[in-house]
Amino acid sequence: MQVAVEGPWSPLLGRLTLDAIPYNNPIIVPTFIVAALAGLVAVGAVLYYKKLGYIWREWLCSVDHKKIGVMYIILGLVMLFRGYVDGLMMRTQQAIAIGPDSPGFLGAKHGYLPPFHFDQIYSAHGTIMLIFAATPLLTGLGNIIVPLQIGARDMAFPYLNATSLWLTFAGAALVMISLFVGEFSSATWVGLMPYSEMASNPGVGVDYWMWAIQISSIGTTFNSINIIATIVKMRAPGMTWFKLPVFSWVQLTTAIIGLTAFPILTVALTLLGLDRYLGTHFFTAGMGGNFMLYINLFWIWGHPEVYFLVLPAFGVLSEVVPAFSRKALFGYPTMVAASFSIAGIGWMVWAHHFFTMGMGPDQIGFFSAATMIVGIPTGVKAFNWLFTMYRGRISYETPMLWAMISIVLLLIGGLTGMMLSASVIDYSVHDSVFVVAHFHCMVLVIGAAAFAAVIFWWPKVFGFKLNETLGKWFFWTFIAGSVLVFVPMFMAGLAGETRRLDYVFNTALAPYMLWEEAGVLVYLASVGFFVLMLIVSLWQRVPAGESPWGTERGLEWLTRTPVPFYNFAVTPHVNALDETSWRREAGAALRPTRYVPIHLPHGSGLPFILGMDVFAWGFALTWRIDWLIILTTIAMIAIVFIRSFDRNEGFIIPAEEVEAYEANINTASIFAEQPKRGHGLVGEAH
Amino acid sequence: MHSEKPTLTAKTALWAYEGEEHDFISTRTFGFWLYLLSDALIFAGLFASYAVMDNPMSAFGHPLANGLLSASRGLIQTFIVLGSVFSVSVGSLGLKTGNKGLVLGGLAAGGLLGALFIWFGVSDLQVMAAAGNGPLESGYLACLYALLITHALHMGFGLLWIVAMFVHVARWGLDAMNTARLLCLRMFWQFQASVWVVIYVYVYLFGGAH
Amino acid sequence: MGTHHYDPTQHPEVRQGTILRYVLATVISAAAMVGAYYVAMSKPPLVSLIEELAGTLLVALLAQAALYFGLDVSRAQIWKSVSLVLTLPLFIISIGITVWAFSSLYGRTMPDPAIMSSMAM
Ligand code: HEM
Ligand SMILES: [Cu+2]
Repeated sequence: MQVAVEGPWSPLLGRLTLDAIPYNNPIIVPTFIVAALAGLVAVGAVLYYKKLGYIWREWLCSVDHKKIGVMYIILGLVMLFRGYVDGLMMRTQQAIAIGPDSPGFLGAKHGYLPPFHFDQIYSAHGTIMLIFAATPLLTGLGNIIVPLQIGARDMAFPYLNATSLWLTFAGAALVMISLFVGEFSSATWVGLMPYSEMASNPGVGVDYWMWAIQISSIGTTFNSINIIATIVKMRAPGMTWFKLPVFSWVQLTTAIIGLTAFPILTVALTLLGLDRYLGTHFFTAGMGGNFMLYINLFWIWGHPEVYFLVLPAFGVLSEVVPAFSRKALFGYPTMVAASFSIAGIGWMVWAHHFFTMGMGPDQIGFFSAATMIVGIPTGVKAFNWLFTMYRGRISYETPMLWAMISIVLLLIGGLTGMMLSASVIDYSVHDSVFVVAHFHCMVLVIGAAAFAAVIFWWPKVFGFKLNETLGKWFFWTFIAGSVLVFVPMFMAGLAGETRRLDYVFNTALAPYMLWEEAGVLVYLASVGFFVLMLIVSLWQRVPAGESPWGTERGLEWLTRTPVPFYNFAVTPHVNALDETSWRREAGAALRPTRYVPIHLPHGSGLPFILGMDVFAWGFALTWRIDWLIILTTIAMIAIVFIRSFDRNEGFIIPAEEVEAYEANINTASIFAEQPKRGHGLVGEAH
Repeated sequence: MHSEKPTLTAKTALWAYEGEEHDFISTRTFGFWLYLLSDALIFAGLFASYAVMDNPMSAFGHPLANGLLSASRGLIQTFIVLGSVFSVSVGSLGLKTGNKGLVLGGLAAGGLLGALFIWFGVSDLQVMAAAGNGPLESGYLACLYALLITHALHMGFGLLWIVAMFVHVARWGLDAMNTARLLCLRMFWQFQASVWVVIYVYVYLFGGAH
Repeated sequence: MGTHHYDPTQHPEVRQGTILRYVLATVISAAAMVGAYYVAMSKPPLVSLIEELAGTLLVALLAQAALYFGLDVSRAQIWKSVSLVLTLPLFIISIGITVWAFSSLYGRTMPDPAIMSSMAM
């Protein structure tokens, strides 16, 4: 009972034909050539240096939470770049296509992008930035830091952790391949309804979007389970709840949101899928369908999702600000309470995204008030950071700069959010670029905090610091770009510019558009400085020593630097909230006096294989290749079944070996190749 | 400020040399419990959709629950699912004594009752569809089918799991790993009863009576 | 990780189950459902229908939570109980607030009085 699709369909390839490949598009073809060349160079380098085995064994099969975290962050950074290029293209279009006299290039009437292409770009931009850039960056950080902060060897479920990673990869790969095979959704990151239905959107774009988000959000749900179970069950002895570092507390609240909100998205997308594949009428415009139901379900997830993203950023600030103020965090218990109330109240405000739907005044009043109330715990947090800095000995290394700008952005984003939460204001600026500027400020809070975190914890993982000078150039160009883009955007929004315009009809908006274009070009410089910072730092690799910043406080700094693959040589017994600084002040030992054997889980290739299978499954569903759908579904069940028979219980590192590693810590870094150990898919006993 | 005073005595423990024995079974059952909570939210989404669609406009000329479902047949299904959960739960008492026969017997009886439950539900849906009220006919019907079939799919997945556990127990007996899995399976099965009573009361009884 | 040197038959979650618990859980759930069935058959006015059905449902679910799942505040079960208590409100919110929002939407946009009354809950 599948729905009939428009256009050709064949049993072998489904809807896939040669026409799906945009070989005559003047923008996509060069992109493809560059991407293909970069891919070839990467593969060639791996083969030339004979690193294939290393990458397979040590990374693709890894269940080590730190490596998984690093891979999440790499994915996030790559997708951040892709999303940035989308943004650059959109800004450039809007800078050219202003007014009826504006020129057209490359076959477009105005600007250089035909409307359908422009629509795909903004849909991809939003989807990528939230789901495939911000989420992996933060999930990766949580993965690396949480087990270290609570003194655990690994996550509670290491294999599930790897599975989450590869599901996220599969989703991201679907978005990326839509660039070269077929098209992406033109229905925005939220999936406008009923425009996303088959009747008005018969292509494969919406299917790509739908499966990509669906797959990665299941990965996120798994990850949330893992984080909660890890924090509840795996804390080191002595770590009572009120010695749990704030970053870990915040990860816990985030994971509660992930666990409870993402299933609602799963429902919304599944019902949309039933409409598009089987022809039901959940959200269609006729036959008793109700597209407002979709919008409601989407935002039940959508608003908690924005807090899912911003709470980890708050956690980062709560670690970085004390470190560079050389003071304990002000108001630790209120920080914890605020995290929970943000998560809780944030679950009750979702309808502020559709005040204009037509609910009654009681309902609008409720959602408006609830939205404003979220500002209270958020304000508590902001004041706590300020009081932490107050009379601290602040030093302005790059992580601190990012943290401070993050607080400023939070103020702007939060205050404009408060404006929007007043429904009377929202009625007049809803769906204008004022809203876009509001949430970009918020997302920049996340971005800034993520940069702070990456720079702060970089030496923990890699053993050397990032170049401070280039880091500052990166910082200041980024901030200049942000100001240039978003200040005019707020003004244009108040002046009445609606969002998602491929053609700006009002020529009075031209100056704003040009300022924003200037800003996005300044961003280009900051991207350059970021890459330069990475290259120069990797080149110099100045060893960071055991205390890279000199001001570290939390338990994670009690491991050696770079952190060895087994984390703590001996599980610490926790005595204080800021264990490392407590031990320094009390003169307690930072290193154990003897070593004991360590038990670690084995790697496994199955999570990676499962991820690839799920990718093929999503691709087959998108193109409606029936046989491949069936095959990949069976393969999924088979992989899970096979995995259930893997009784491999990990391996033991004897105490002498631990001692040898500790004496020469670089041999234990997560980048060092380890001997093959034990049985299983990975290799034979040594 | 509130930070703890650095007090170090000879008795202050700094390292857990003995290692910490994490309770492997509890970690797994807790993780699985969290999955069940997220699954409950999936049903919340479906219930919310059902509630929104439960009106003549969305039924689009087709009957609502009171014209489609029989509360007394639903009650029989309720008894079947409770019986099935009872069997699996009582079977799990065999874990206390390492009684493989009791565990597997409970699973087998529960599985058969589960299959009967699915058959019962599916044949009801078939009758409904044959009478012109199939899932494609209206928004309301789509929601009704989605809710009932999602629950039935869970039960079906549970049957696969039961079969898999026969293989595992045959091969490794009631060791820690299988005990953890059986505890999870028991929770999964009990959870289906909880979901079902909500469906029964909300869709069959409330929907049927107003 | 998989260090399972201990005896699984002694695990608290294994020890907790008893035949009495399971009989009680099943009987209470079944009796609550039979009660709910008769309530619905007698077609009381809407408000008392909702109250009585919700009451019987609550009895069944509480019995299952306490006796099937064995939720309590013991060391073995406390975190399951806590996470349930944190999640249950979200379950209710997501359904309840949705119904509330859409009932007002329907009341304001649907002209048919039958629809208004069916959503006026
Ligand atoms: C005090 C906190 C906040 C308040 C009061 C607030 C308020 C609002 C309101 C009322 C809207 C709806 C505007 C409209 O569409 O007409 C909105 C949109 C949005 N907000 Fe916020 N917000 C807050 C925090 C955040 C945070 C922390 C994030 C993300 C990290 C965020 C991301 C967004 C996004 C993505 C949208 C628009 C989504 C879309 O329509 O595409 N907000 N906000
Ligand atoms: Cu919101």
